[in-house]
Amino acid sequence: MATRTIAVSRPRPMPRGGTLGTWLFGARALLKGLVITNRHFLRNLWGFIRRKPTVFTVQYPEHRFPFPNAFRGMPVLVQMDNGKERCVACGLCEWACPTDCITIYPAETEDEIERHPDVFNINMSRCMFCGLCEEACPEEAIVMSHNVEIGAFSRRATLWHKEDLLVPVSQLAPRLQHIRRGYDR
Amino acid sequence: MPTITIDGQTIEAPAGAMLLPVALENGIHVPHYCWHPKLSIDGSCRMCQVEVEGSPKLVIACNTPIRDGMVVRTKTPAVENTRRGVMELLLVNHPLDCPICDKAGECLLQDYAFAYGSRRARTREPRRKLEKRKDIGPRMILDQERCILCRRCVRFTREITKTNELGVFNMGDHSTLDILEDKPLANDYSICTADVCPVGALESKDFHHKLRVWFLKKTESVCPSCSNGCNITVHHYRDRLWRMMPRRNDAVNDTWMCDHGRLTYQHVNSSDRLRRPLRRRNGQLEACEWDEVLTIAAGTLRQAARDAGGHGIAAVASPHLTNEENFRFAQLLRNLGVGNMDVAVVSGKSDDLLVKAEKAANARGARDMGLVGGGGLPAIIEAAAKGEVRVLYVCGPDLWETSDRQQLDKAIERVECLIVQDIVRSPLAERAHIVLPSLTFAEKSGTFTNVTGRVQRLHQAIDPPEGQVSDGEIFSRLLAQLTEGLPSFVPAAVLEEIAQAVPAYAGLTVDRVGPFGWQLPDAKAQPAPAGATA
Repeated sequence: MATRTIAVSRPRPMPRGGTLGTWLFGARALLKGLVITNRHFLRNLWGFIRRKPTVFTVQYPEHRFPFPNAFRGMPVLVQMDNGKERCVACGLCEWACPTDCITIYPAETEDEIERHPDVFNINMSRCMFCGLCEEACPEEAIVMSHNVEIGAFSRRATLWHKEDLLVPVSQLAPRLQHIRRGYDR
Repeated sequence: MPTITIDGQTIEAPAGAMLLPVALENGIHVPHYCWHPKLSIDGSCRMCQVEVEGSPKLVIACNTPIRDGMVVRTKTPAVENTRRGVMELLLVNHPLDCPICDKAGECLLQDYAFAYGSRRARTREPRRKLEKRKDIGPRMILDQERCILCRRCVRFTREITKTNELGVFNMGDHSTLDILEDKPLANDYSICTADVCPVGALESKDFHHKLRVWFLKKTESVCPSCSNGCNITVHHYRDRLWRMMPRRNDAVNDTWMCDHGRLTYQHVNSSDRLRRPLRRRNGQLEACEWDEVLTIAAGTLRQAARDAGGHGIAAVASPHLTNEENFRFAQLLRNLGVGNMDVAVVSGKSDDLLVKAEKAANARGARDMGLVGGGGLPAIIEAAAKGEVRVLYVCGPDLWETSDRQQLDKAIERVECLIVQDIVRSPLAERAHIVLPSLTFAEKSGTFTNVTGRVQRLHQAIDPPEGQVSDGEIFSRLLAQLTEGLPSFVPAAVLEEIAQAVPAYAGLTVDRVGPFGWQLPDAKAQPAPAGATA
């Protein structure tokens, strides 16, 4: 079998043993780190003196970053103005979901839209916010929200039911506009 | 035989055959809606148009007889253009109901729209408004907007059931599929119209808004509801059955099945199912372990056989169990020297099309396995009522349904030990001393023999709960307690044993049975005994 040799550039290996080279290598790495630390320290100090601090840390949960519309938090169900869900239980999100976290049991209603989900469960401990459900939905009924604070103390509490997932359509307007543009609807 | 050429492929076909079935049989797919292999030709959908050399226009393949030297093309630009045009016209008034339509996923209109249709609609006019969700019968609903007027269902009610409930009313673009006001679609085969419907216009109430079809897993099986043994496909998901669909077998059921059979799957999903063996202790039935109950049952049977000989035990076999399981049961009874046994079968109404009188799939198979002996069912109950039977082993619910209650009551009181094997806690099981849970047709593999002597295979669709053993395994374990060196229950291996032990089944192999069954060689020679049906 023919072999081919390729030259790969690797970082210089660390010198071995207690030689002078080892000491120099260590001292250089130490200094490099101190330079970075001091650079940030001095910059912040200078800003502090000028009363314009350059602080990157946000005091969560009191302060938060505004999320852009493209941000994908947990999926929620769109609630129409009449209080009902827009979802018709077509099952495309259930099919698209790569982690199988959505469970739907359809049922018939007397409304004009004759079908709705009787049960719509999302197992949030499995959901990875990929947004494929939103992309698959033909009714714009499931969209990704900005909510990511969904930690819970029990496994049972990570199972979200239809009633918990409903969010009024007015609150989701920016995201709905965003996906309409993004998916060329 | 005439020789024709379709898309450069030379095909020999019988004279008089139509072009479309010949093409389909040879793997050339020509799209079609109104043509159905078991119905007459209508030619209304215009989807199967192809180019025939020498013909000035395109012709519909479903109604063009083949002739020698015919040259057919199915993929020319003219054909494709026509298909796109036909699709556009069919879709002009078709509502965009796919997300809520039960047919979505197995809909021919959807499939062909993807394959042959154009991507955009050009119409600006509103779609036709007609009646949706129309209740047209006890088991069917109609959505007139979705109908593409192929008239398959109309021909089905006209030619197969001969009941003429459905019809197309009005003319031209006012044509509407409907029923007459005073005649609902209530025949025994009404759900077949949902099968033949290429779109979601006719839907069965049973499956309406239940599950999207792409979630369903499909397993080939045999309908358990009567002795006709219609070939079916079991559709299952999340370890439960959702529906049963007929599977084409021209020797048994063509492409149809009756509504009663189609709706009998519910007992499989029932929450009342017995899952653990029960044993009577201090007058109460209590759940217990498998090993414990089988040891007790085997001990009781052995004791009764030793004390009173074969007459101390009587057995009623179930026509719902497979041949393999009943073969093991027969082995068990033979080992105990039992001579008093019979098969109890519920009998009901029959018709000329498919439905047979014996309401169990494998009554004939159970008799063929040698489970008939002594004076039959009345003699068993009489002997038990006289106190001659110490242990009565009853499989299945049919004994309770068929026999005289007073006589049966007396028999149950006199019997020392009543062993009942059933899928639910039936009235008979409530009075038993030992109750063994049984499995349904969907939870096991094996073969059924239908009334004409056709051996057909069923495959396991769903898994029984952890730890529950099949009926064959119950018989095998009981037999293992009485004899040495018996292997565990493997249906395919038992099938080979049957082929060797039962003369009528000589030559039976799994391959011979195949997907469509195998006719027993001397099928006509063994009619069902008259006394077996109550």
